[in-house]
Amino acid sequence: MRQPGSWVTSVRVGFARACVVLVVVMLVPAVWAAAVTLWLWWGGNPWSWVAPFLWAGLGTFALSRPVCRIVRSLVARWTGTAIPAGYREPGPVIQLSTGYWWNGHSYERTARDAHRDQRWRTRWHDPATWRDLRFTAIAPLTAGVLAAVPPAGLAVAVLGFGGPAFGGLAFGGLAFGQGGSAAVLVGVLGLVVAVAAAPHAWRPLEPVAARFLRPSPAMALADRVDELTAQRADVTVAQAAEIRRIERDLHDGAQARLVALGLSLATAEKLMDAHPDRAKALLREARAGAATSLTELRDLVRGISPPVLTERGLVDALRALALDSPLDTSVHADLRTRLEPPIEAAVYFAVAELLTNAVKHADADRARISLTRHDAGLVVEVEDDGRGGARVRAGGGLAGLRRRLAVFDGTCGITSPPGGPTRVTMVVPCASW
Amino acid sequence: MRVVVAEDLYLLRDGMVRLIEAYGHEVVATATTGTGTLDALRTWRPDVSVVDVRMPPTQSDEGLRAVLAARRELPGLPVLILSQHVEQLYARELLADGAGGIGYFLKESVFDADQFIDALERVAGGGTALDPAVIAKLLSRGSSSRRLDRLTERERAVLGLMAEGLSNQAVAQRLFLSESAISKHTTSIFGKLGITDDDNTNRRVLAVLTYLNNP
Repeated sequence: MRQPGSWVTSVRVGFARACVVLVVVMLVPAVWAAAVTLWLWWGGNPWSWVAPFLWAGLGTFALSRPVCRIVRSLVARWTGTAIPAGYREPGPVIQLSTGYWWNGHSYERTARDAHRDQRWRTRWHDPATWRDLRFTAIAPLTAGVLAAVPPAGLAVAVLGFGGPAFGGLAFGGLAFGQGGSAAVLVGVLGLVVAVAAAPHAWRPLEPVAARFLRPSPAMALADRVDELTAQRADVTVAQAAEIRRIERDLHDGAQARLVALGLSLATAEKLMDAHPDRAKALLREARAGAATSLTELRDLVRGISPPVLTERGLVDALRALALDSPLDTSVHADLRTRLEPPIEAAVYFAVAELLTNAVKHADADRARISLTRHDAGLVVEVEDDGRGGARVRAGGGLAGLRRRLAVFDGTCGITSPPGGPTRVTMVVPCASW
Repeated sequence: MRVVVAEDLYLLRDGMVRLIEAYGHEVVATATTGTGTLDALRTWRPDVSVVDVRMPPTQSDEGLRAVLAARRELPGLPVLILSQHVEQLYARELLADGAGGIGYFLKESVFDADQFIDALERVAGGGTALDPAVIAKLLSRGSSSRRLDRLTERERAVLGLMAEGLSNQAVAQRLFLSESAISKHTTSIFGKLGITDDDNTNRRVLAVLTYLNNP
């Protein structure tokens, strides 16, 4: 047997929640009730059906999304069940060279028109909109009816105890015999029903919301396909840019230097007999040129894949990175197996970028890198003692980092309050555990 | 000197053998894999060997691991590592046993044949020879190198050249100072790093090791 205190609390909390559920899910039926009232009130007018019809239609459409948002947040807060919304995000709106605006569908004179048009299109074509409408129709008949039990019971109780005259008026049909006593009996019954139902009446909201608000497998799959398509496009563009960079670096750097080297050697060969001093100077120059092109090639190779990563794997590569960093950096790793090379490279470059940021922007002295295995995959944490305030900006380094991790379904969370410390947690799922 | 050369690329191996023989040393064996290197080092116990870090069949750090294994069996076996890239991490691992006789250079150091052979001979004599790229990284470390903070700018420069393996005379030439000034600086460095006078032979190696192992 539970303690009476907790029982009272659960009744009180349950009653309040039932009332909240009732108000939220009844918003749309209230709009319809108002429309019917309006129609009755304008009964004589031949056009009287138009206004209520418009009122009900627009009201439902406008209210469905806020109602569903509230329901999701209530369910999440009360039961911990997170129901993904799955609303489609409007795409970017860009200004074309003609000065007009393009949102992917229509060509508008001003940015505001383009945004408005896009908002309506997105909303109209979003399957989530229709899911929301379906829920607002079903919820009052299921969760709404059940949530109405405790308030209704309380109302009956108030009317029953409200005095024989009041009670007699309300329960005229029942008030046979001794007038008030039947009303009091009904009031007591109402109170019992209200108290007994209160802890449970709001609970049907969760299964109903989970059943009707959750994106269906087909919708989730469609979203996933969209996401993967966008990622593939990102990867392709990034890869092409990387190849162009390597080609340019080779063409302008090492290749040109090797040509110059050949020229110097040919000239030196020619000068060897007549002017040995000039030939020697040229040979020295050629040697310096060869050394410089090796340095350039080495940097290029390091940019593609750091040699120590290839030779030793992620943990030692991060140790080497920590040694080369001007920060006092410690590495803690609980990782014995090698990971897939692309994942190792992505994590390595992400950590390298974070350390660079910590030096360049955060003015940090110390950093801590930790790698741990987790059920979810590899968890990499990078923390510095810098001034904080790091934010993810579109087109910024952190956004790029997040995008590169997204290719592996990895996530990247950043906490960076002003004044520091900045902590970045990256999680990369690994199938090879 | 009897030298072992371990390098998987034919052109480089052949070039190095010719260069070493041109300076009057004997190449007793060559190796092209990590296990081959370990076998050659065990069998020949050369006066010095030149080893590449990355070797087949795994193309990982097999050369380095062979050297570390050989030096566990034969402490102080002199080895000069020649690699396409130099890592502080590898330099620390090589020097960690404190036995000296270690060199770690970029492959292009063979461009200057005199310096390369000079480094090879110093390593054979039990000294250290580190690439300037490693030294620069070691000396440029920020707030963490508290021991090094006690050194003056000039003393750091001297320590850097010492770690490359140069003698006092050579350091004096590079810095355009007198040899006596350099020996005063080295005494001061040993004092500040807490290296006592009783171990005369290896003080220069210890100066670098002290920093490496106690950042």
